[in-house]
Amino acid sequence: MLTSANFDSLFQPEAIAVVGASATSVSGGNRFLRHLKNFGFKGPIYPIHPTASEVEGLKAYSSFEALPQSVDYMYVAVNATQVSNVIRAAQGKAKFAQVMSSGFSETESGKLLETDLTEAARQTGIRIIGPNCLGTYSPEGKITFTSGTSNEIGHVGVLSQSGGLGVDILRRGKNRGVRFGGLVTVGNCADVRPAELLEHFFQSDKFRVIGLYLETAMGGRQLFEVLRKYKNTKPVVLLKGGSTSAGQIAAISHTGALAGSQAAWKALEAQTNLITASTLNEFLDILLALQCLGANGVSHENLILFGNGGGTSVLGADAFARQGFRLANLSSQSLNQLSALNLPAGSSIANPIDVPAGALQQDEGRIAGKILKALVQTSHALTIVHINMTVVTSFEHVDMLGNIIESFMNLQATQLRDGKIALVLRSDGDPAMEQTKLKYRQMAIEAGTPVFDELADAAIALGAIRRSRFNRAS
Amino acid sequence: MVSEELQKLIHATCMQARGQGYQTLSEPDGKRVLKSLGVEVPRGREVNGSGDLSHSLRDLRSPLALKVVSQEVVHKSDFGAVKLGLKGTEDVAVAMGEIQAALRARGIDAHKFLIEEMAKPGVELVIGGLLDPEFGPMIMLGLGGIFVEVYKDVAFRICPINRDDAMEMIDSLVGSALLHGARGKEPIDIEALVDCLIKLGGDNGLLLMPQMPFAEIDINPFIATSTGATAVDARFVLKQV
Repeated sequence: MLTSANFDSLFQPEAIAVVGASATSVSGGNRFLRHLKNFGFKGPIYPIHPTASEVEGLKAYSSFEALPQSVDYMYVAVNATQVSNVIRAAQGKAKFAQVMSSGFSETESGKLLETDLTEAARQTGIRIIGPNCLGTYSPEGKITFTSGTSNEIGHVGVLSQSGGLGVDILRRGKNRGVRFGGLVTVGNCADVRPAELLEHFFQSDKFRVIGLYLETAMGGRQLFEVLRKYKNTKPVVLLKGGSTSAGQIAAISHTGALAGSQAAWKALEAQTNLITASTLNEFLDILLALQCLGANGVSHENLILFGNGGGTSVLGADAFARQGFRLANLSSQSLNQLSALNLPAGSSIANPIDVPAGALQQDEGRIAGKILKALVQTSHALTIVHINMTVVTSFEHVDMLGNIIESFMNLQATQLRDGKIALVLRSDGDPAMEQTKLKYRQMAIEAGTPVFDELADAAIALGAIRRSRFNRAS
Repeated sequence: MVSEELQKLIHATCMQARGQGYQTLSEPDGKRVLKSLGVEVPRGREVNGSGDLSHSLRDLRSPLALKVVSQEVVHKSDFGAVKLGLKGTEDVAVAMGEIQAALRARGIDAHKFLIEEMAKPGVELVIGGLLDPEFGPMIMLGLGGIFVEVYKDVAFRICPINRDDAMEMIDSLVGSALLHGARGKEPIDIEALVDCLIKLGGDNGLLLMPQMPFAEIDINPFIATSTGATAVDARFVLKQV
């Protein structure tokens, strides 16, 4: 059904050519070269320039013929009218071409240019990504198209129809702890369609979790077939942009009138166990939860809430109930161990477990680890730990927060059986607090615990995963 | 499921309708398509005017339904062009006269009619098909009557569907309890409903046949009982060519 391009060399190119970088000013091509160098790309980079001998400090070549070798990846940032010529000139010299240039089918006047570009891909065998996109990010291949992206190699693969949103996903995702294996911005999809890259994400063992930002399907049948073929093998999170469909159904019939513009996308979700997000933050929260817990880590409907803050516990329980979770009955082992801890007055050992910050002072915060150890004796439950950082960090003489988190992490590493832990670090937004949060967030995620900003965010992300029926189809 | 022979019949039927400038198949033609697929339709007979009614009706069981067959009449019941619960030749002849008079008042000259045995009462459903511009053939199931009109209680799936998908469609309806026997009623024959969904939207179903000629399909009502399911009315909208 699909032409099976080997996309490995897109994510790990040996050599890269850049067309459209200027010797005298700063264009998209120049910025790409700078990002590539800063990110530490190891292989040769060949700027192609008709006249200059050097671009961005690199030896420039006047044509593809002049290149000492063929390249896996070329980045094209020239005027839309020149792009097809560039592709044809690169025949036999490049495997993938990512076309950043805009002015194609997204504009009325560019539609013919795009048809010609598709034709150029067919003629040359060069697989074109874009046009009207920004680039590809691969921490293992050391390629990127924006600044501030992570060096850490993760297992989340993302395909974004929008370039700008791709940047948001990478940068905000990095700060939230999402570790990507790769991200491709695909733009207008003149040649390579979302379904093909999606199939690569499914097939390559470098990816375990898949994220999609799509506005249109760009080959809906293919997309449906690939999603169905690999259903339940890797979780796929969809952030769907645009509430109007690509075309309007004639709607002469009842059925047509009832369909609405999103009927097919809802059907796609139901038939392929997609996990759907409705905002960028939800999308990232879900990816993070899947990265840390796996889709099966969120299959329980039973929940244990533990933290400091009575009102927060109540609101949190409400938020999780709205997502279909229910508070677990603690097992007798859990209850016995909790009673044996002799928690101070003001603590509640019924679920949700509310332990005021004062009570958490015991053993410089390490008591929290003991409580958690008691809680995870209740099996088949997801434990959500929430910490009001402002209150906990006000005990300044000890790093209580650090001790709490460290004791959780020890537990996570050694004693967790079938239960899973998620952490909610609630900050008041104070810059110093945000710094602290970032530090502990990274530490927790390193140990495999997802961190959310609020209980409601955790509820929405975990609820979306649980509802998706991933892996639980009959 | 859609044999080559049936494909030929469907394409020929559609070509004929197109040749006459029609955008849809006539109800009898549509029902012939369904019947050939193995979807149950009421037993019936087409007649041209009221001549020799008794011969036409000789082996049909009352109560009967009388409907006009006319491309000019889109919403038959709105035009007073459907008469239900008729018993015997005389009833039918009177009803036919009434329909003709009602249509004549709107400038429509009606002479073709479909006389059918009425389906046993059951749960009214709607089954539909359409071509999504991005995802291609899709199938719809909804609860009929007020549920579809007011609550839009429908489920769509991309074709092909398998039996699990069909069961999920059924269970995803808000009113699915009505199908499983709510308020002391007998549950409907779910298997018969699933079969019909598969015949339309399955791997070898109508909606995935080669050069599928339809843009939209409405089977409304589709009446399900504890012992079967019947397509009581069917509307096949032809693709624009």
